[in-house]
Amino acid sequence: MSGERARDPWPVWPDGFTSGARERRAALVLSALAGLRPRTLLPVAADAGTAGACVELVARGALGSEEDRRFVHLLEADSIDAALGACGARTVLWDDPEYPPQLRTIHDPPFVLYVRGGALPAAERAVAVVGSRRCTDLGRDLARAVGRGLAAAGVTVVSGAARGIDAASHEGALEGGGPTVAVLGAGIDASYPRGSRALLERIRGQGAVVSEYPPGVPPQAFRFPARNRIVAGLCRAAVVVEGEKDSGSLITGSHALEFGRDVFAVPAALNNPLSQAPLMLIRDGATMIRSAQDLLEDLGLGPGSSGPPPDLTLAELAALEALTGPTLPDRVARELRVGLADALTLLMRLEMRGLVRSVGGRFEATLAAVPATRVR
Amino acid sequence: MYGRVIGVTVVGVRGHIVAVEAHIGRGLPSLTLTGLPGAPVQDARDRIRPAVESAGFEWPLRRVVVNLSPGNLRKEGAGLDLPVAMGVLTASAQVPAARLSGYAFAGELSLRGTLVATPGVLSVAMAAARARLEGVVVPADNAAEAALVEGLHVVAAPSLAEVVGFFRGTWTPPVPEAEHPAGSPTGHTVDFSEVRGQAQARRALEIAAAGGHNVLLVGSPGAGKTMLARRLATILPAMSREEALEVTQLHSVAGLLDGGRLRQERPFRSPHHSVSLPALLGGGSAFLRPGEVSLAHHGVLFLDELMEFRRDAVEGLRQPLEDGRVVVSRMAGSVEFPARFTLVAAANPCPCGFLGDPRRRCDCPEHRLQAYRQKLSGPLLDRIDIQLVVPRLSKQELLDELAGEGSAPIRERVEAARNRQRRRYAGTGYPCNAQLPGPLARKVARVSRPAWDLLAQAVDGMALTGRGFDRALKVARTIADLDGAPEVQADHVSEALVYRMNLVEEGLARVG
Repeated sequence: MSGERARDPWPVWPDGFTSGARERRAALVLSALAGLRPRTLLPVAADAGTAGACVELVARGALGSEEDRRFVHLLEADSIDAALGACGARTVLWDDPEYPPQLRTIHDPPFVLYVRGGALPAAERAVAVVGSRRCTDLGRDLARAVGRGLAAAGVTVVSGAARGIDAASHEGALEGGGPTVAVLGAGIDASYPRGSRALLERIRGQGAVVSEYPPGVPPQAFRFPARNRIVAGLCRAAVVVEGEKDSGSLITGSHALEFGRDVFAVPAALNNPLSQAPLMLIRDGATMIRSAQDLLEDLGLGPGSSGPPPDLTLAELAALEALTGPTLPDRVARELRVGLADALTLLMRLEMRGLVRSVGGRFEATLAAVPATRVR
Repeated sequence: MYGRVIGVTVVGVRGHIVAVEAHIGRGLPSLTLTGLPGAPVQDARDRIRPAVESAGFEWPLRRVVVNLSPGNLRKEGAGLDLPVAMGVLTASAQVPAARLSGYAFAGELSLRGTLVATPGVLSVAMAAARARLEGVVVPADNAAEAALVEGLHVVAAPSLAEVVGFFRGTWTPPVPEAEHPAGSPTGHTVDFSEVRGQAQARRALEIAAAGGHNVLLVGSPGAGKTMLARRLATILPAMSREEALEVTQLHSVAGLLDGGRLRQERPFRSPHHSVSLPALLGGGSAFLRPGEVSLAHHGVLFLDELMEFRRDAVEGLRQPLEDGRVVVSRMAGSVEFPARFTLVAAANPCPCGFLGDPRRRCDCPEHRLQAYRQKLSGPLLDRIDIQLVVPRLSKQELLDELAGEGSAPIRERVEAARNRQRRRYAGTGYPCNAQLPGPLARKVARVSRPAWDLLAQAVDGMALTGRGFDRALKVARTIADLDGAPEVQADHVSEALVYRMNLVEEGLARVG
C-alpha cells in the first residue's frame, strides 16, 4: 500500500506508452484484441515503447495471433470512440493523471481503463468485498452488512457485480449511501450477468463501473479471473465472504495478498464447500472477521458497535441456541423439551423478527441473531 | 309374441331403469336391437344366442326385435346381456312372466351361458331400490355388492339356467352373507408409525386432515414425500356409511371393486404424470369411466412430480377442487361424477432437486430456477392451504428419531377437530375449515385480538397476499380446533404461518 513505485516487482508499461492522441487511439485498438493480454504484451512494450509501435508489430504479424493481425486492420479507433460515446464511457490511460496509482503496483496492470460514472477511488478509501455467486443467505446478509458499514464509514466498496455476494455488497453500499465500484469481466457497455442492468445503473449513478475492455467485448471465461486482479488492485483491503476452493473469490484474495493488501475472510463450517476459500486465505495470513463490526474496527474506521442485542424471552433465546446450522424443528423441540407445535410457534416468532429463517425444511439463525447469542 | 323385463343402464355413476321389450315375429331368423344401444350393447347381439342355447334353452328361429326404452338415453355397459336374454325367453314363453316385473336384471353373459362379474352392479341395485322393485338379479360374483342396498331381494345366479330356474320355481338362490360394517374401520395396509422423523410434515398432515386442507410437499428426491402422502388417507376420519357407499359405487362402476365388499378405507390414488385427460378427469370413448379424481372421492389424490403433469391436466383439476364434482361433456350430453378429494401435490424444490439440501449442492442456473418457480406458482396453488418443505434426512437425523405415533391416535384427534367444525358450521353446508370461502372464514373463525394483530403483522412483514391471509386464517382455525380452543390465539397463527403461503414465491429462492 505504501509508496506506489517503491518496489517494482513486476514489469509495468513504459512512461509515455499511451500519451498523445495517436498513442491513445492505438491503445484503444490494442485493448480490443482478444489474443493479446497484458502478460504477453508487457515484455514487448518495454522495447517497443509506445502503443502505436505495438499495433504495428501486430499488423506485421510479429505479435499476437493471426486473428489479431487480421482484426487489427479492421479496427478503427474512431468506431471504438463512437461506441464509448454511445454508452457514456470515458477512458483512463496509463499516462493519464486520473490513473489510480495503486493499480501501478500490481502485476499486469491494464494500460487503459474504461469508466462509466464518477471518479475512481483513492486506495485508502477503497475496500473490495467479494464472494461466491451461489452463496448462502447468511453470506448474503453479511456481505450486505459489510457493504453498508463500509459505505457509512465513507469507504468505496469495490466488487465484481456478479450475483450473490458481489451484488449484495454493492447493494449494501448503495443502501449505506456510499460510492461503489463494479469491475466488469466484459466490455464496458455490457450488462452482465443477465438481470443486473438495474444494479449496474444504480452503481453508475452512485459510483463507477470499470472495465479494461472496450464496448462490445463478450463475457468470456478467461476475462473474469483477469478482472479480479483489478478488483484487488484498486483497494487497500479485500474481504472474502464465501467461496469454493477453486473460486474467483480465492483468486481475488490471493491477488490481494500478493499485492500486499490487507485481506479479511469470514470463516464458516469446515464441511461447507463455501468456506474453503476463506479458510485457505486465513491459513495464508488473512485476518478472520466475524462481522462488519470486526472489519471496521480492524480497518480503524471507528468502534465496532454491534447494536443492542435483541430483547428475547428465555424460551426464544433457548430456541436460538438450539440452532446449530440448519436444524430440524423436531430437534429444537427435543432440546427445549416442548411439543413440536410449540417449537414451531417459537421459531415462527423469531422468523417474523428476522432472527431465524427456514431453509429447505430446516431452521437457521440469521446474522441479526448473532449478538443475541454472543451476549452470554 | 311379446315379453318385457327391466334392465338398468349406468350413466356416470347413476343407474337408470330401462324397459327391455322383446318381440318375436315373422321373418328370417335375426336379432335386432333398437333404442339407442351403445357400442358394448350392440356388441352383445352375437353373444346372446349362443349363451341362451348353451344354457339349454331354445332360440326362436324367427325375426326377433328387442327395444330398449326410453329411446333417448344411450345404453352403456355389458350389464344389459341378461335382460335382453330374459326378454327373448319371456317372449318365447320359456319363462313365466308372472313375477318378472318385480325384478331388475343386470349381468354380462358368456358364450357358455354363465354370468360374469359386471361393473356397476351397486348402481344397478340402488336404481332398483329407488324404483321400489322387489329385487335384482345379478351375477353370483356381484352378490355382496348388490346386498349393500338394504331392503332388496338379491338373486345372485351363477348362470342363465339358474335365473330361469328361479322364475320357474325350481331353483332357490342362496342368501347372500350380510355385510358387517363393524369390521376394521379403515382397512389400510400402511400406518403412520412407519414414518421415521419428519415431525413437521407429520404435524402438517395432521392439520391437513383435521381441516380438509390440500397440501403441497416440496422436497428433494428421497425425502419421503410419497410415503407421507400415502399415510394421509389413514388419518382422515372414518367414512360414514353413505360416503362408503358412494366410494364403493364409483369403484364398482370403474370395475375396480374386488370381492364386492363395502369400501371402508379412504381411497388413495396416485396417477402417473403421463396420465391422459380422460383417465384423470373421467370419460373415455367406448365406455364412460370415472377418472382418477372420482376414484379418489372422499380420499386422497396424490400428484407426485406435479411439474411433470401436462398443463391442461392441472387446469382440469380446478373444477373438482372448487365444486367437488367433475362434469364430463360428450356428444350425447354431459355426465357428472362426484370428485371431492384432498389433494396432495409433491414437487422438487428445483429442476435438479437439491435446492436447500445441506449435503448436496444445487446446480441449477438462476434463470431455470426462476422459470421453475414461475411454473410451480401456477393456478393450482390458490387451492392449496398448506405448503411445506420436506427435508431429506441424514442418516444421523434418522437414527436420532424414534418410530412415530401410529395412525389411530392421530385419527382420533382429527375426528375430534372435525366434530368441532361440524358443530360450528351446522346449517352452512360447509363441512370443514378448508372449504369455507375466505370472506366467510373471516367472519366465523372467532379470532382473538392478538391473533388478528399477528396476522396483520404477517401481511406487512412476510408479504402475505389477501389469499395468503385467508389461507393462514383457515389453517390457524384448524390448529385451534385441534387444540380444542374456541378462539384462535396468536400461537395458532404463528404455527399456521410456518406452513407458509408464500413458500414457492419467496422461500424457494433461497440456496441453503
